[in-house]
Amino acid sequence: MEETGATAAPAEPAAGPMLQLENVCKRFGDLEVLRGVSVDVNRGEVVCVIGPSGSGKSTLLRCVNLLEPPEEGRILLEGKEITGKEAVEGINFVRRRVGMVFQQFNLFPHKSALENVCIAQEKVLDRSGAEARQKAEALLARVGMADKIGEYPDRLSGGQQQRVAIARALAMDPRVMLFDEVTSALDPELVKEVLDVMRELVDEGMTMIVVTHEMGFAREVARRVVFMDEGLVVEEGPPAEVLGNPQQERTKRFLGLVLEH
Amino acid sequence: MDFIREYYFDFSLMGDNFGAVLDGFWVTIKLSVISGVLALSWGLVLAVLRQLPGKPLAPVRWLTIGYIDVFRGIPLLLVLFLVSGFLSAAQAEDVIPETIGLPTWFGETSPFWYGVISLTLTYGAYMAEVYRAGIEAVPGGQTEAARSLGMSHGQAMRYIIVPQAVRKVVPPLLNDFIALMKDTSLVSVIGALEVVQAGFDIQTAEFNGSGLVLGALFFLAVTIPLARVVDWLISREQAKTQRGGPKPPAGEAKPAGPPATGMAGA
Repeated sequence: MEETGATAAPAEPAAGPMLQLENVCKRFGDLEVLRGVSVDVNRGEVVCVIGPSGSGKSTLLRCVNLLEPPEEGRILLEGKEITGKEAVEGINFVRRRVGMVFQQFNLFPHKSALENVCIAQEKVLDRSGAEARQKAEALLARVGMADKIGEYPDRLSGGQQQRVAIARALAMDPRVMLFDEVTSALDPELVKEVLDVMRELVDEGMTMIVVTHEMGFAREVARRVVFMDEGLVVEEGPPAEVLGNPQQERTKRFLGLVLEH
Repeated sequence: MDFIREYYFDFSLMGDNFGAVLDGFWVTIKLSVISGVLALSWGLVLAVLRQLPGKPLAPVRWLTIGYIDVFRGIPLLLVLFLVSGFLSAAQAEDVIPETIGLPTWFGETSPFWYGVISLTLTYGAYMAEVYRAGIEAVPGGQTEAARSLGMSHGQAMRYIIVPQAVRKVVPPLLNDFIALMKDTSLVSVIGALEVVQAGFDIQTAEFNGSGLVLGALFFLAVTIPLARVVDWLISREQAKTQRGGPKPPAGEAKPAGPPATGMAGA
């Protein structure tokens, strides 16, 4: 994808973790959603975040792209601080490097699949209409939506909408992709088509943080699995360890409940 | 009974005065359309100002809310007196140039333009609240998606939120337009010769209300079709949002255009 990103973010900076979260805290009123979360994500790494509802997984993703700026702690993207008073880079730096896909797809209902993928390219990256369209068509073909580019979201199944949403995020040439329970709102038979698109991204070396309830997917693609509960990281490590041989009681209990059915 | 018939439905009187009443109605139409377009625009500006983000812009939000509260809360007639009185007085005192104080733009009279200003000020406030309801009805995920793609607040509003909001509020805006059209009759009080004044002049001269009834018929010829358009838009809207409900009757194919409401797949 990089070769088409003429107007994308500047060249790769020096090596080091893509993303560093240090002691990230977030509260909504009296509710402490994140109580000091530290996670590093390396380039090309796929980190799956699992945990019960309300454990802060989604909030963590939303902190990373500053939809919910954290109150304490630091987040560094490509080694540059993006949070708090010491932030050296602002929201635009972050959002041009971080793509996000949502549980509810959030496609723009008044725009066709093609327009959904084009609009931000044109308005944010100043790509020409032709350039944006070319890129959008290529990406929509990649997610298997080539024959639906003119359709409005209303006419697409959940799985199709989610694939368009992934194409829309990829069109911005992100360095990191955040997936927030992207299959949770889908009918079971539509889950695979979305996971297949994500598997391709993994194979291409995209850096990804995936909040998911799909344990099979996590076991298969994750380099690391992070288990969160009550706003804290309880356990993290390779999937074989965290999912196969969890050390913490809470992890065991959660996995027992999830895998039982 | 004959007296009632003659007082309201004297057709020969209507015929004799048809031209005068029609001239008045033409003024009503011009007042309505010009004020309507301006109020629709001004209302959208107010609604967007009200949604500006961040602490530094809080004063703008407060001012906007204050404006809307004031102009929704006072009678249009009062606004008309204040606007026309102020502009003509300020012009007389040379505080403002004559072209503003006694406007005769595009060949229309000063009372006409005082009316346009007052109707825009008042109905802009009403319509701002309608737009606001539409903006707030757009799911929050739309803003988040737009922002996560790097759009600024302004871009998200302009390309994503407002287009969806406007589609949702076309019926209530049309309702406000109908109300505005009827309220143009108040401008007669400061001297505009619109349709109600024209009919009233006939009633005063002839001791007969048929001129006013003729004016009423002109109104209904416009407002009833508009009301039907509103009904049609609302039912079309409902057919779209209630998915899985009864299909629209055959032959009424779903337009290929974008959906008007509802978050996709929700």
